[in-house]
Amino acid sequence: MSANHHGEVLKHHFDNLEQQHAAERLGMWFFLVTEVLFFSGLFVAYTVYRNWYPAEFAFASSHLILWIAGVNTGLLITSSLTMTLAIRSAQLGDRRALIRHLLATFVLGAGFLGFKALEYYTDINERFVPGVMFRTELAKAEEELAASHGAAGHHGTAQHWAADLAKNNAGKSYTDPGYISPGRVQLFLCFYYIMTGIHGIHILVGLGCILWLVQQAAAGKIPRENYSTVEVVSLYWHLVDMIWLFLMPLLYLAGAGTHAAGH
Amino acid sequence: MSIIVADEPRVGPVPPEPAPLKTNYLNARSGILSWLLTVDHKRIGILYLVSLTAFFVVGGLAAGLVRINLLSPTGAIMTEDQYNRMFTAHGVVMLFLFLIPSIPAVFGNFFVPMMIGAKDLAFPKLNLASWYVYMIGAGFMVWSVLAGGIDTGWTLYPPYSSRYSQSNVFPGAFGAFITGFSSIMTGLNIMVTVHKMRCPGMTWGRLPLFIWAMYATSFIQLLGTPVVAITLTLLCVERLAGIGIFDPAIGGDPVLYQHLFWFYSHPAVYIMIVPGMGVISETITCFSRKNIFGYKAVAWSSVGIAVVGFLVWAHHMFVAGISYYSAILFSFLTMLVAVPSAIKVFNWTATLYRGSITFQAPMLFTLAFLVLFTVGGVTGLFLATLGTDIHLHDTYFVVAHFHFVMVGGMVLAYLAALHYWWPKMTGRMYSDFWSRASATIIFVGFFFTFVPQFVLGYHGMPRRYPNYPAEFQVYNVLSTAGASILGFGYLLPGFYLTLSLFFGDKATANPWSATGLEWQTPSPPSTFNFDRTPVVVCGPYEYAIGVDQLGRGLPEPPGPGSADDPASHHGPTGPAGPMHKETHVVG
Amino acid sequence: MHTEHKVDDPPTMHDVDSPGAMFLVFLVVLGLAVANILLATTGLGKLALPVQLGIASVQAVLVAYYWMHMRRGDQVVTLSALSSLFFVFIFYVLVLSDVLTRWRIAM
Repeated sequence: MSANHHGEVLKHHFDNLEQQHAAERLGMWFFLVTEVLFFSGLFVAYTVYRNWYPAEFAFASSHLILWIAGVNTGLLITSSLTMTLAIRSAQLGDRRALIRHLLATFVLGAGFLGFKALEYYTDINERFVPGVMFRTELAKAEEELAASHGAAGHHGTAQHWAADLAKNNAGKSYTDPGYISPGRVQLFLCFYYIMTGIHGIHILVGLGCILWLVQQAAAGKIPRENYSTVEVVSLYWHLVDMIWLFLMPLLYLAGAGTHAAGH
Repeated sequence: MSIIVADEPRVGPVPPEPAPLKTNYLNARSGILSWLLTVDHKRIGILYLVSLTAFFVVGGLAAGLVRINLLSPTGAIMTEDQYNRMFTAHGVVMLFLFLIPSIPAVFGNFFVPMMIGAKDLAFPKLNLASWYVYMIGAGFMVWSVLAGGIDTGWTLYPPYSSRYSQSNVFPGAFGAFITGFSSIMTGLNIMVTVHKMRCPGMTWGRLPLFIWAMYATSFIQLLGTPVVAITLTLLCVERLAGIGIFDPAIGGDPVLYQHLFWFYSHPAVYIMIVPGMGVISETITCFSRKNIFGYKAVAWSSVGIAVVGFLVWAHHMFVAGISYYSAILFSFLTMLVAVPSAIKVFNWTATLYRGSITFQAPMLFTLAFLVLFTVGGVTGLFLATLGTDIHLHDTYFVVAHFHFVMVGGMVLAYLAALHYWWPKMTGRMYSDFWSRASATIIFVGFFFTFVPQFVLGYHGMPRRYPNYPAEFQVYNVLSTAGASILGFGYLLPGFYLTLSLFFGDKATANPWSATGLEWQTPSPPSTFNFDRTPVVVCGPYEYAIGVDQLGRGLPEPPGPGSADDPASHHGPTGPAGPMHKETHVVG
Repeated sequence: MHTEHKVDDPPTMHDVDSPGAMFLVFLVVLGLAVANILLATTGLGKLALPVQLGIASVQAVLVAYYWMHMRRGDQVVTLSALSSLFFVFIFYVLVLSDVLTRWRIAM
């Protein structure tokens, strides 16, 4: 360990760099523990309602845009890889590679948010939003269905959610088997927007941290001794990635069990 | 006890008291910005002390108004709606702005680094940020109170808080959400500090019990607070968007909110009380001149409370419509949490046994804590029992129970800590007479306030009701009378502590002849606490070996045969010596 | 995959990741994600949820162990990770102890 860098890197209240790095890493890990518990509240609530309302969750889930979720999963996993490579560059003291890897991570993460925005945009255009939008769109679809009654076979398989829901529930009362409660579909949508929204905010924070790292690296403030700064941000980034790996199947693949069973 | 080791034993006269520092953390820098931008954990502790005191006064005034209103069976001064808003303000301010941060934010910040021989907490800037975050959250809550208050009770149960409330739920809930982050920041900082910044020789088995308690508390803060954060987020979303996951209209379950809320908020009562238990372990050993009885039991019971405290939350929901099987399970688990608390009380009592007890103010507060906390804990068992809880749920019995724990326990422990460490924090001694008087008055006032409430609750007066049958009036008047005594008792420290800042005698480095590392520094300490990194060679409460001498920041241990040899019974500071207790307090 | 830590090494060197290992982990995690989505289209029926969460858990373990450097074996880190899982477990079990045994109108 070269002693000459320490003056700049070592903070006054630590005895040595080893202690400082360990403290920083541990601090981030403890923060990640709080993040896990933060999301666990959502996951527990999701579990309760999915257990109660499996049909509605499957229905709503199968009307989300799966390809965007797939692309986004790929983007996030790749960004985690580049983040790991950024730590390596920092450890080796390769400043240019560090900046390159950080920027790659940033671009991939921003791409995630871009696709996410596209997805929200499409959902909102389809009025697939709990509350007033949902109710009016469904009422409209029910009217259309009633109007076109008798004019059979005008729909394919991949359809607008409201038409699907109206068709499914036509002639059924809420106690009948196979009835899909519009309220509970909205409940799923609440989870969808809240979970992806909070996850998106975490991505946004992560992107900010990465930009800050780029700036620090460009200013030469991340020497080899101080690589733990990169590592600490990477821990956060990986956790956000990891949470997405659970969100993706829970939100987008919840219909998987019922598809083959036929509906 | 902690000794700074030298190369060879010293034989000689009693070493002198270290001279008070010319520059200490208080006068090292001056100006308002030096306080607002400080990263010194001690100054941040003082910032917290000042703001917490302000909010304690606000919450106390709200409590006073609630009690005055209850003087009459039909409500003496307020409308029903105002009454709802008043007790909610009392609950929200006292819980989120006083009790939860109290000891961790003030004394944890100030003394955790000093007690483990560190220069600062691990993340000084995060520490300062936690104070700002706390103040921002407090700002939101003050906004909600000034805009007319919240009428839901501090628990903010939906759908009342989401759909039907006409009051300022959003700023209140959002304020609680924000202060939660401040609590997480403090907890995280303390946990990392205890893990990574202990001085040489400060093993886990030699940590002062206050540190163990702070560690357990931080553990709860880290694991619990995020859950209430997400719960309040969901509530805010529901309130603002008009639709959300607790909304029964779309199949949501309001009881689920209660699960999520109490997953944090029950452990939160341990966030409030466990630091108090840590303080008691420090003061009771110091003023009994004895080692703690059962160090490991007391230390591990803190961790035990932290873990078991997470298993019991649904006893708040026994009559909320949860399943019978679940209720039985939670009733059983709730009783388990009494075990670690009882372990502590028994060990403290055993510590008192044959101790050389003196009754300075910190000790009086400590003894009051022991009595009141025990009453509060035992009545908790009544409520844990499923059958009795059906009768007592949401009555004044519950109110009295948690006030015995939170006020009789926690606030008295806070005052004990304040009186115990005041000389170290400010470098001044306060009035001995008035501090003892205030401890006595608070104890008496507390009893008068809350014992009648047990009776009221047992006879069925529900909590949160502004009206009651006329035959309950005598108990309510008694309670309000007690509350005014209690309020007077709280005012006293405000006076004599403030006066001590200007007129009090200068405190010596170790006025109580205590053994902790924090007492080895001058009073008030320097900005970086220690000139040299201390080295610890034995446990934290070695009062038995005549260590008054060593606890004074002395550079070397006494040599064999000298007057201050631990073995000497008649040395100046030995148990029988002339200076055996140098507790110097001005009356 | 794991470089031996020698006392003489500078402390920053012993835990430099090898790019090959990182890429391998990447391919496995990405492959599992693809598998997860493809499996969902085949209609696993009742097995769908456990399979999906099983795959996600394997991915999470890989990310935590290799990319988040849990393999370095810092005890406190392992302990805090495990305790977060433990408390999430408690959270689930105790909430579900109510929800799954509660009396509800069958609809």
